[in-house]
Amino acid sequence: MEKGKDRAKMVDHIVEDEAIITKIEHKSHKIDSLIKQYRPVEALKTALDGSPPKTRDERCKSANWHVVHRALMAIKAVDLMFSNLDPEYYDILMKYLYRGLSTGDRQTCDQCLKIHEKLTQKAGLGCIIRALSDTVNTV
Amino acid sequence: MIILIEMAAIAVHQFADCITCHAWSPDQSMLALCPNNNEVHIYKLVEEKWERIHVLQKHDQIIVGIDWSKSSNRIVTVSHDRNSYVWNEEGSVWVPTLVILRLNRAALCVQWSPKGNKFAVGSGAKTVCICYYEQENNWWVSKLIRKRHDSSVTSVAWHPNNVLIATTSTDGKCRVFSTFIKGVDAGKPKKSGSGSLDAKFGEQIVQLDLSFCWAFGVKWSPSGNSLAYVGHNSMIYFVDQVGPSPLAQSVVLRDLPLRDVMFVSEKLVIGVGFDCNPMVFAADGTGLWSFVRFLDEKKAASSSGRSQFTEAFGKFYGSSKQGTSNDRGRAGVHDNCINCIVPLKKSETAKMTSFSTSGLDGKVVIWDLKNQEDLLEYL
Repeated sequence: MEKGKDRAKMVDHIVEDEAIITKIEHKSHKIDSLIKQYRPVEALKTALDGSPPKTRDERCKSANWHVVHRALMAIKAVDLMFSNLDPEYYDILMKYLYRGLSTGDRQTCDQCLKIHEKLTQKAGLGCIIRALSDTVNTV
Repeated sequence: MIILIEMAAIAVHQFADCITCHAWSPDQSMLALCPNNNEVHIYKLVEEKWERIHVLQKHDQIIVGIDWSKSSNRIVTVSHDRNSYVWNEEGSVWVPTLVILRLNRAALCVQWSPKGNKFAVGSGAKTVCICYYEQENNWWVSKLIRKRHDSSVTSVAWHPNNVLIATTSTDGKCRVFSTFIKGVDAGKPKKSGSGSLDAKFGEQIVQLDLSFCWAFGVKWSPSGNSLAYVGHNSMIYFVDQVGPSPLAQSVVLRDLPLRDVMFVSEKLVIGVGFDCNPMVFAADGTGLWSFVRFLDEKKAASSSGRSQFTEAFGKFYGSSKQGTSNDRGRAGVHDNCINCIVPLKKSETAKMTSFSTSGLDGKVVIWDLKNQEDLLEYL
């Protein structure tokens, strides 16, 4: 009985995760066209919107990281970005910056550090604390 | 030596290298504190000078909770040695009575109930002990709330009705329990705004899942209609209509996390923590909570008599960070984490405007909000 329940739960999870992947694919197309139109901040907002921290599935997390990464790397003027980015995005952006820094890739780290400096000025140390202390809703 | 500052901080005194907790006598003429060891030191203000008049020695390990009953002049202490003592003043000596808590982990916090006939102890054993005095046996009895907590209980707070307690825990939750004890709580308490009160002992009234990491420092508002607690993720949570369908607000902090909170009035909350400077939160007309400002303005730092070396060191320390806003919290009266805030109230009916804080820097600071014009409307 318990096993049956567990299996049903697992199937539910798989269906949910598939739905998330489909959504991320949709987002990915939108982000590409926004970047082509030189609207990187809009692209970043789209990438951060509906990012899937609640799921434990690594595939969903890394799929979303790839779209966020593309949008992040398209940002040229960091100051300009912050004048168009609402504070509600700060916490989730910080989490993705730390994910970027953990890749160890030179270009990604350069970009993440540049944004990290500005974001810390804008959002304060509290924002870093929230990114580091949250072990449940990881990105 | 007392340094007077024309700011919210009206008195500062260095008692030790570090203070784990402190409490005031009912008439506020004496102060009990633990200087980060297994002793409680009691000080009295004699001719503008703090004199140590008693040292209470009975615990084996560091004392982390002291509360001085408002109604009965009794002191309760809890320690990492897993024990609790109730101290009675007999003549000029404080006589301890051991309270067997039946814990296998450290006790972490303690508070007397508003009537002073019970006290609650939070512990590292995922339990809360509700202790009460049994006249016939001349003995303090400890009744355990074993269920629900998945981790250490970091803070306990009594509702004004003497029955409900709120707890915070390192599993991130804030919970409200009934502590109704037959024979101790005479009759069924009157129903107030906080849900049903005819619950049995240990029954959970509500569990709040707002935080995803350690929760600390829960307190009730004076009416008992709201409560506030803090998370180690630089958030503070305000909960109205505590009961089956609570209304919760989360306020995001710009700065380092808080360790403890206190309601000054229904609309004003003070939070203290790792920023070394009390933070003021206020509710507007619609009940929306927000951060107002730090209580200790930067001006206070220059008048608090620091040496040139610490000034220079402060500059060096500040310059290693971006912007000036980040080191703002560290330039105040406290220069290390504040972990304890205690109300100072002249009488039951009087408006509370004053409170004291202590922390890892070994200072006790007394604050008064009376001269803070921008905050008067919330008092």
